[in-house]
Amino acid sequence: MLVSTIDELERFTIVEAASGFEALRLLPREHVDLIITDINMPDINGLELISYVRNNPNYQSIPLFIVSTESGDKDLEKGLALGANEYLVKPFDPLKLQQLICKYLDA
Amino acid sequence: MSVEENIGKAVKDFLAEAEEILDQLSLDLVALSDCADGGECSPDLVNSVFRAAHSLKGLAGMFGFTEIAELGHHLENLLDALRLGRVDLDQSVVSSLFESTELLGILVRNAGEQGAEAVDLSGAMQRINECLAREPKAAKDSPLSRLNLPERVLNSMTEYEEHRLLENVKRGRRIYSIRVSLLLATFDSELMELTEQLKQVGEVISTLPSASGGMDAGIDFEILFGSELGSSELTPLIDREHLSIVRFGEEAAAAAPVEEEFHAPLAVEGAVSAKSMSRTVRVDIGKLDILMNIVGELVLSHSMISEVASRMRRNGLVAPGQELAKAAKGLEKKLSELQKGVMEIRMIPVGQLFEKMSRIVRKISREQGKKVELKLYGADTELDKLIIEDISDPVMHIVRNAIDHGIESPEDRSAGGKDEKGTITLSSFQKGNHVVIQVDDDGCGIDVARVRQKALQLGRIASLDEVTDREALDFIFLPGFSTSDTVSEISGRGVGMDVVRTNIASLSGMIDLENFPGQGTRFTITLPITLAIIKALIITTAGRTYALPITSVLESIIVERKEIRTVERKEVIQLREATLPLLRLSDFFQLSGDAAPPESCYVVVVGVAEKRLGLVVDDLLGQQDIVIKSIGETFAGFKGISGAADLGDQRTILVLDVGSVISEATRGSA
Repeated sequence: MLVSTIDELERFTIVEAASGFEALRLLPREHVDLIITDINMPDINGLELISYVRNNPNYQSIPLFIVSTESGDKDLEKGLALGANEYLVKPFDPLKLQQLICKYLDA
Repeated sequence: MSVEENIGKAVKDFLAEAEEILDQLSLDLVALSDCADGGECSPDLVNSVFRAAHSLKGLAGMFGFTEIAELGHHLENLLDALRLGRVDLDQSVVSSLFESTELLGILVRNAGEQGAEAVDLSGAMQRINECLAREPKAAKDSPLSRLNLPERVLNSMTEYEEHRLLENVKRGRRIYSIRVSLLLATFDSELMELTEQLKQVGEVISTLPSASGGMDAGIDFEILFGSELGSSELTPLIDREHLSIVRFGEEAAAAAPVEEEFHAPLAVEGAVSAKSMSRTVRVDIGKLDILMNIVGELVLSHSMISEVASRMRRNGLVAPGQELAKAAKGLEKKLSELQKGVMEIRMIPVGQLFEKMSRIVRKISREQGKKVELKLYGADTELDKLIIEDISDPVMHIVRNAIDHGIESPEDRSAGGKDEKGTITLSSFQKGNHVVIQVDDDGCGIDVARVRQKALQLGRIASLDEVTDREALDFIFLPGFSTSDTVSEISGRGVGMDVVRTNIASLSGMIDLENFPGQGTRFTITLPITLAIIKALIITTAGRTYALPITSVLESIIVERKEIRTVERKEVIQLREATLPLLRLSDFFQLSGDAAPPESCYVVVVGVAEKRLGLVVDDLLGQQDIVIKSIGETFAGFKGISGAADLGDQRTILVLDVGSVISEATRGSA
């Protein structure tokens, strides 16, 4: 769902990681301009991913969005504290996501 | 297919899936209800229930079943709160969960029918909201502060992980930080391995990655881990390079863990609950059988090619013959790899069987008021899945018997100078092409005198000293033979040791029994690793060729004619300490053989279950992989034949059914 939403913005290439581990492995290989992560993932959680990205000099300036459900508001707060740029609560409006992406990548 | 039909099919699929989810949900809720009384619940179970409700809600929303989606959403909220520790698990929560699940079931069934009655959901949803409104009993202020966890770890923990950490602390588990440095290229498999090891002895609470200090190609992980083990026990379990363990809140050592009467086999239970994360595919075993058959056919084609190659060389086509032989050799190598690969897919660790046994031991020992410790060895030994399934009942029966008849009551044990707690040991190991499963107990052993008495009563023997101890023990494998005067609930289920023996024999396995009066018994079950492709010993007798499954062959020996004695009109030889009855295969199949018996002959010693027999044959042609094919109904009545096999040179031979040959041969002698 998320991927197809962004797909409409044809200018971007999307690399999808099925898990946190996969994301960690993709980061050095792909040149990533923006990260969108869920909070709940099977191996490491989204907060841990943010912590990794923000504390790694190679990636610390990449814009990062977090996505969670409404019951995860505490987690979202923590995510913002760790340095996430934006958050989205599921179910979210695809238009909102598109706008946010453009805000960070067209500048 | 029209659009409407497509939608109709999609809805049908949804309803089928919804029913499946609800079935699983109900099962999980029963388990959840059981642990609501105990107060302790596996986080995996709560998560599984939560995920079920979540997917049901999602699916229903997608297909426009708003009522299902709405109730599902309420259910999910309650489960989420439960998962995060915002609500305590008690019976009122459980009954609310049951109520909603039941209503969901009705809604799903109604969705499949036209004009079903409306269902009132408001009551159920209100009760869920009431549960949600209650504050948890436990004080919110956390003992976490005493642990002095580093901020980087605390800051990146989700609410769920914090709750799990709290639970671990509450249960008096020790909290560790395990730091490990890995290479970016290979970290996931190594970390997965470490996590699996950890899960067997505790709970992995969180995993925080960080850039490796200095190394560009490296990555560090800090794993927060809760366990009952002390540092000195934990360290050797996970010892490896670039790994360090720190225990948090050393001084805040919580209440000593309660010593459990029965030690749960942590290793096995952990392995089972860890399966959800693994990258696995479920495959119908029937498909693997087909693959295995194809491999078998390929093996035969290969034999044919080799045969052609050697014929070419014999007939003067040396160069092309050699080339073909070389190609065939390469093919053989790949084939055996393919065969091994397919075989490995079918293999599962014996631990899955052991885990079942540990539950049974726990249950029965409690029912019987006996103290039993179960020790497991070699749980990672692998066996064909079908064999594991078929062996589970026999092993269970032996284990039940061991507790029921073997292990004495705690009082009797201490009176006899034994440890109050009895021990049952399940061990498994590979031995050549076989896997051995041993069940040992340190109970009172089998009372051979009573077995003799019973045999006399049943008319099996005419006098008490007619049979040796060893032979007397064989009687317990006879149908309807029980020395127990009072049939307890456990042993009175209509399965006896005779069924155990039959089941094992049908797997081409063997069972042996050793008895140590006053000290216990040992059952040794020897099983072939797989049944799909078998190695066979090809033999000839009276000019005919037969295949003997190598799994039933114990050894083959050359016997001089003078070594053969005749006892009660039957031929026997002395083989080490035992007397081995002989059977001339040519007599068995009533084939006319050579008139004058040779000075020496081959004897193939075969065994099924605890029975041994020496088959007298003319020649041994060697071993070969064969695929057994059924010979159909027409020949089903023939004793001693289990099927036919193709030898690869266009010759079809019969495969001996060693079990039925033995029982035919020994009939009347028992």
